[in-house]
Amino acid sequence: MAVQEIMQMPTPAPPDKIHHSDEAAKWFLSVALFSLVVFGTFGLITAIKFVVPSFFAYISWMSWPRIRPAHVQGVIFGWLIPVAYSMFFYMIPRLCGTPLYSEKLGKISCVIWTIGVFIGTLSLLNPAGGDHAAGTLNLWLMTKGKEYEDYDVVSNVFLTAGVLLVAINTFRTIANRRYRQIYVALWYAMATVMWTALVYVIGNWPGQAIESTFGIPAAFSGTNDANVNWFYGHSVVGLVATPGAIALAYYFIPKSANAPLYSHKLSIIGFWTLGAIYFWNGAHHLIYGPIPYWLQTIATIFSFLLFIPVTAAVVNFLGTVRGEWHQLRYNVPLKFFVSGVIMYFLVSSQGSFMALRQVSGTVHFTDHTIGHSHLALFGFATMFSYGSILYAAPRMWRRPLYSEGIAEWSFWLSLIGVIIYVISMTISGFYQGILWENYNISFIDTVRAMVPFWHARAGGGAMMVIGMVLMAYNIYKTATSPAPADEVKPLSTGAANLAQAN
Amino acid sequence: MAKPQAEQSVFWLGSFTALTFIVAIVATGIAPSVNPHLNGNFSDEDHYHASYQYVNGQLVQVSSAKIDDSKPVFGYTLLQERGRLVYQREGCVYCHSQQIRPLASEMLRYRIGSSVAPSSDEREYIYDQPHFLGTKRNGPDLDRVGGKYSDDWQYSHLYNPAQMVPGSIMPAFTWLFVNKNPADPSSVPIPTIDARALVAYLQTLGAGREVYDPALNGGKGGWRPWLKLQDAVTNQTMSEDTVHRAKVPIIVPGGSTASSSVMYQ
Ligand code: HEC
Repeated sequence: MAVQEIMQMPTPAPPDKIHHSDEAAKWFLSVALFSLVVFGTFGLITAIKFVVPSFFAYISWMSWPRIRPAHVQGVIFGWLIPVAYSMFFYMIPRLCGTPLYSEKLGKISCVIWTIGVFIGTLSLLNPAGGDHAAGTLNLWLMTKGKEYEDYDVVSNVFLTAGVLLVAINTFRTIANRRYRQIYVALWYAMATVMWTALVYVIGNWPGQAIESTFGIPAAFSGTNDANVNWFYGHSVVGLVATPGAIALAYYFIPKSANAPLYSHKLSIIGFWTLGAIYFWNGAHHLIYGPIPYWLQTIATIFSFLLFIPVTAAVVNFLGTVRGEWHQLRYNVPLKFFVSGVIMYFLVSSQGSFMALRQVSGTVHFTDHTIGHSHLALFGFATMFSYGSILYAAPRMWRRPLYSEGIAEWSFWLSLIGVIIYVISMTISGFYQGILWENYNISFIDTVRAMVPFWHARAGGGAMMVIGMVLMAYNIYKTATSPAPADEVKPLSTGAANLAQAN
Repeated sequence: MAKPQAEQSVFWLGSFTALTFIVAIVATGIAPSVNPHLNGNFSDEDHYHASYQYVNGQLVQVSSAKIDDSKPVFGYTLLQERGRLVYQREGCVYCHSQQIRPLASEMLRYRIGSSVAPSSDEREYIYDQPHFLGTKRNGPDLDRVGGKYSDDWQYSHLYNPAQMVPGSIMPAFTWLFVNKNPADPSSVPIPTIDARALVAYLQTLGAGREVYDPALNGGKGGWRPWLKLQDAVTNQTMSEDTVHRAKVPIIVPGGSTASSSVMYQ
C-alpha cells in the first residue's frame, strides 16, 4: 500500500475539532482501578496464607481455595479487561477521528460488566447463609470449579452481555471512521472483543448445571472437559489479555515516546500469526496428562511457533522506542512500556520452553507456573495498562497528573516487586520439581522446603500491591483535583506530546 | 492501492479473526472428543470402570459402573456425587491434581505399600463432570488416594490438617463439621453430610483402576485392582505410611482432646 498512507496512519483527527467526552472510558477506568486494589489484595492474602496458614483461617469464605480463584478471576475480569475497554474507548475515537458510537451504551456495558464481576466474586467466596452453613451447592450459583471459568452461570450472563455491548460500540465506532486505513491498534481492539465473546461462551457453557437440573446430556466430561477447559483457559490469556494489552501498546508506545511506529509490515505478521497460532496451545497445560498424545505434540509445536508473533511485536515496539531511550529517565509511561515489552518477551519464551515434555515433566504442577502467570499478567499486561492510563488519564480529565513522584514510586515498586515474585517462584518451581523426582522424599518435606521462597513471594507481592494502591490513588487524585484554569497546560510526562494529544 | 485489504475493512477483519477461532476449536476441541474410549460403552474393557469400591475397609466389586442406571450419576453414588460438589465448592482442585503422569518417579511417589500407582488413563474420567485434573500441586496428587487412609484419618485431616501432618499448609475445613455442644469440653466435632460425602468421594479415587498381572490365573495372566488388598487400609486402624503421619488425638475446640475413632457417628 502507499507509503504516504502508512505515514499518515497514526495521525488522528486534527486537534480541537472533536471534543471527546470519554465518559465510558472514565467509568471503566474507575471500575478497573477499584478491582485492581481489591483483587490485588486478595492475591496478597493468598500469599500470606501460604506462610501463615492460620491467617484468617476457620472462616469458610476467607479460606485459601475460595480467595484464590476470586483473585485470579478478579484481576482478569475486574481489572485487565475493564482497563483495556477503558483505553479502547479512549483511543478508538481518536484513531477514527469520530466520537464514540455511544457513550451511553458504553456506560451501560460498564455497569453490566461490573455487576457480573461482583456476582461472580460472590459465587466464588460463597459466603455461608441460612440453611447452607458452608455455602450453597446450587450449580447455577456456585463456582463451576474449572480454572478461568470459575464464575457462576449468573455472572457469565452479565459478562457475556457486557462484552457484546462493548463489541457493538467498538465495531460501530470503527465503521464510522474518517480514514479508510484501520490502524493496527484497532485491529487488535476489534479482535480482542471478538475473540473474548467467542471463547467466553464456549468456555463458560453451563453444561453441568443444565445436566443436573434438566437431566439432559449437555456437557463434555472427563478429559474432553479438561481439553475444552484449557482451550478456553489459554485463550483467556492469549486472546483476551494479550491482544488487549498489545492494542494499547500499539497506540500508547508511539504516543508516549512521540515517535512513529517502527514497521507496519511487522504488525501485520504479528497480528495474523497471533490469531492463527495462539488458539492451538491449550493442550500444553495437560502435557503428560491423560489426553491424546498427538494433541500434546501439536500444543508443543504451536507453543514454539508463538515466537513469530511475539518477536514481531517486541521488535516493533523496541524499534519504535529506538533513538528515544533518553526519555526513559523522565517518561514514566514509557518506563512501564519498555519494561513490559521486555517481560513480554521473557514470559513468552519461558512459556514455549515450558511446553517441552522434558521441562514440563519437572516444572508442571509447581510454583514455576505461578511465576510464569504473574510475569505474563502483571509483568506484561498490567505494566502496559499502567503505562496507558498514566498517559491517558490526564488527557481524559484534562488536567495534569496529580503526582509524577507517586507514579515513579508505583513503577519501581511494581517492577522490583514482580522481579522478586517471579524469580523466587521460578527457582522454587525448579527446586520442588527436582525434589519430587526423588520419590523417597516425603511430599510434606518438599512443601516445607518452599517456605523461604514463599516469604520472598509474599514480600514481592506486597510491593506490587502497594504499587497498585499508589497508582489508584494517583489517578483518583488526578480525576478529583480542580481543573486548571486554562485547559492547555502541560499534562503528564513527555509534555511535548501534548500538542498531538487532542 | 486498488485491492482492499483485510486490514481496511471491518467486515473482513472481523470475519478472518473469527475464522482463526473456528479452525482451532474444530481441530483441537471437537476432533479429540471423537474418541471411542470416551463414549462410556465398553464391552470387553470393563475393568477401567469404577467397579471396585472400598466399603468398610473391604474391596467390594459393584455390579456396574453406572451404579443407578435410572439416574445419570456418572458412575458415582448420590453421596459420592455430592462429595464431588463439595470438592468443587471448597476448591480442592486449586491445590490437588488428579492425574498420575507416566513418569517413573510419579508412579512410585504415589504408590501405596507395594502397589505401584498406574499412570492415569482417559477412560478413568468418563463420568467426571466437571473434571478435576488440576494444574497445581500445593498438596499431593489425589488420583490414587482412595483406600490409602481410613475415613477416620480423612475426617481428622480435613478438620485440622496440621495435626495429622505437621507443617501442612492445607486449610482446616472446620465448617464441614459441627460441634453440637461447644461448651462441653468432651464433645467432639461431628462431620456434616458434606464432609461424609467428600470422604466417600475421596475413597473412590483410583479405586476402579485395574492393572494387568501376568502371574494371575496360574500364570495365564489377568486383571486385578491396582491397590492390593493388603495395602488398603481398613476403617478401624489409622494408617501410618512412611511419611510423617503422626497419630495425634483430635484437637477439640475448648481445649480437650478425644480419640479420633469416636469423632463421628
Ligand atoms: C492450600 C492448598 C490445599 C487445599 C486447598 C487443599 N489441600 Fe489437601 N493437602 C494440601 C497439602 C499441602 C497436603 C500435604 C500435607 C498434608 O497431608 O496435610 C495435602 C494433603 C491432602 C491429602 C492427603 C494426601 C496424601 O496422599 O497424603 C488429602 C486426602 C487431601 N489433602 C484432601 C484435600 C481435600 C478433600 C481438599 C478440599 C476440601 C483439600 N485437600 C484442599 C494442600 C491443600
